[in-house]
Amino acid sequence: MIRPLWNTIRGRLLAYLLPPLVLLLAAGVYLDYETGAAPVRDAYDRALASAALAIATQAQRGTEPAELARVAAAIDGLLHPGARSRAYYVVHAGGRYLAGEADLPVATVGAKNPVFFDARFRGEPVRVVTYSLTDPQPLSVSVAETTAERDRATLRLLVSEVLTDVVQLVVTVLLVWIGVALALRPMLRLGHQIAARSPRELAPLDAHAAPGEVRLLVTELNRLFATLGEASRAQQHFLANAAHQMRTPLAGLLIQLDLLIAEVAEGRVRQELLALRSSAQSLAHTADQLLTLARADPAVHLADELTTLDCGKLIEDVVAQNLDRALRKGIDLGAQIEPVRVGCVTWLIREVLMNLVDNAIRYVPPGGHVTVRCGVTDGRAYLEVDDDGPGIPPDKRQAVRQRFYRVPNTPGGGCGLGLAIADEVARLHGAELEIGDTDGVGTRVRLRFSQAGALCSTEAV
Amino acid sequence: MRILIVEDDEVIATTMSRGLTLHGYVVDHVPSAEAASTALLNEQFDLAIVDLGLPQEDGTSLVRRIRRTNRMLPVVVVTARDSIADRVDTLDLGADDYLVKPVALAELLARCRAHIRRARAVASSRVQIGSLGVDLEGRRVTVGGESLDLTRREWLVLEYLAVNAGRIVGKERLLDAISSAPQDLSLNSVEAVVSRLRAKLGEAAKIRTIRGLGYRLDDEP
Repeated sequence: MIRPLWNTIRGRLLAYLLPPLVLLLAAGVYLDYETGAAPVRDAYDRALASAALAIATQAQRGTEPAELARVAAAIDGLLHPGARSRAYYVVHAGGRYLAGEADLPVATVGAKNPVFFDARFRGEPVRVVTYSLTDPQPLSVSVAETTAERDRATLRLLVSEVLTDVVQLVVTVLLVWIGVALALRPMLRLGHQIAARSPRELAPLDAHAAPGEVRLLVTELNRLFATLGEASRAQQHFLANAAHQMRTPLAGLLIQLDLLIAEVAEGRVRQELLALRSSAQSLAHTADQLLTLARADPAVHLADELTTLDCGKLIEDVVAQNLDRALRKGIDLGAQIEPVRVGCVTWLIREVLMNLVDNAIRYVPPGGHVTVRCGVTDGRAYLEVDDDGPGIPPDKRQAVRQRFYRVPNTPGGGCGLGLAIADEVARLHGAELEIGDTDGVGTRVRLRFSQAGALCSTEAV
Repeated sequence: MRILIVEDDEVIATTMSRGLTLHGYVVDHVPSAEAASTALLNEQFDLAIVDLGLPQEDGTSLVRRIRRTNRMLPVVVVTARDSIADRVDTLDLGADDYLVKPVALAELLARCRAHIRRARAVASSRVQIGSLGVDLEGRRVTVGGESLDLTRREWLVLEYLAVNAGRIVGKERLLDAISSAPQDLSLNSVEAVVSRLRAKLGEAAKIRTIRGLGYRLDDEP
């Protein structure tokens, strides 16, 4: 998912920073222009005034108009080496026109001498200076130049101002962008830290390692973790109590039935007692399975129950527990062990294996074979129970993972929770439960653990 | 043979004791750890069945006390607590077995029989399974009172199986039992010894092959 830019801290920070920065830039450019343009104008004005002074000095000496024109042309050449601007002049002596462009605008000189002003001449904007002398005779010299040259100078000034400021703005924005990323690193680290945890790991985060701004968040998260942990402990406690409360009367019921059956001779009553015992047993079995299921709930905190399990030992134990039942039914129960260890919640895996072996013995007819295996393929440990019984039809292999589902017309007193528990436990361990067969015969249920390094994983032997 | 049941649930206690009585045991029942301590001081028992969730003093502390004062008495814990931690802790304390309720009478009987036999074997150096008698000290085997001639290896295998009757014993462990140096025999020689033993024992005892795991000497004839 691409998050819109405005919904990131960086984006927001930029959104808050950018408008004032642009305003500042505009104001800066304006001020720089104002303070930079005046000296440029003054410099040009001074040059213009010098020209007027030079012409006035010549005129005062009584130089001829033709000579004056040459002087003016020389000055024009000096002032404007390029052809961009042109200079004009007019000289009045004693109020009468003496030389130059007669129609050039002229200012009346008062207290200020020389006088500068802007005007238009022959359709072009010009800057004019009028300089007056009164001694020995009243003389007024006006020099004008077209403004292209000074406009170009002020424009260059403006461009350089704007360029500098824009570069500054861009650098500032970049620095903010990078700076924010750097400053947010501890938060990202915190996020990754939380993401990398198992959903059941509820140990508090280190609040002191977090930057001040997120410390509140970390503290609150820790409080939430603590509450969750408390709730899960309460749930565990409740389940343990519930287990105890259900098991004790069931134990009494079953053992009383056992006793009655032992005392009653063959006959109708004994048959009914046996049926009663079988119902009570499946009730006890279902209660056990439900408790297992409840305790394997993802909401329950299991992380601190993780231990290393020797699969071979587990298989030996489970086979030993089920051997007599298998022998009574005439089933050959065996094992095939390749040494392997897995990191897992041992009692859950044991429960799963007990369920799978129980299922196999339940459904395989007398004379059949049940084999419990463990080993490693592709670097992943597996535990499996393989039988040559009736098998689960391929189209039912998904459905049998559902709670209380039983393949239609199946004999035997299962409650339909065994494979659901196996599936749930596999998921809890990040493992996979594969339900299949061996070359089209029987049932093969395999629990494949994740590779070494994962939370619940294959471990080196 | 005398069994002490320490259980506060009246129904379970009386039915268990009736069941055990039916199978030839003499049973005493007490409802608390304190009463159990008194009974153990005054009488001699062959086995104790202890519930963990007892009123006042807990079953675990009773197990600990029994282990301190009476090292040889087999203790079978029968409880509704089914967590691995409880199981491991209790076995660590010295309980010989841990059964989770509801437990079938047949299962309880089998465990009691096995533990009493093991304890007796240690005390009297004799194991009796049906008509098979194994004299651990005299290194003698009898079937129905008749002495049976065994080779040294056959004796070592049978001794190991008899002491662990009812339990699965790995081939490797039997190999360790018969070979002085680790590499001087192979697993095949274990198989050969077992098959000779089976021929000699006949119907007196059943040594089962547990595919992929080893052998088991059935403790019920």
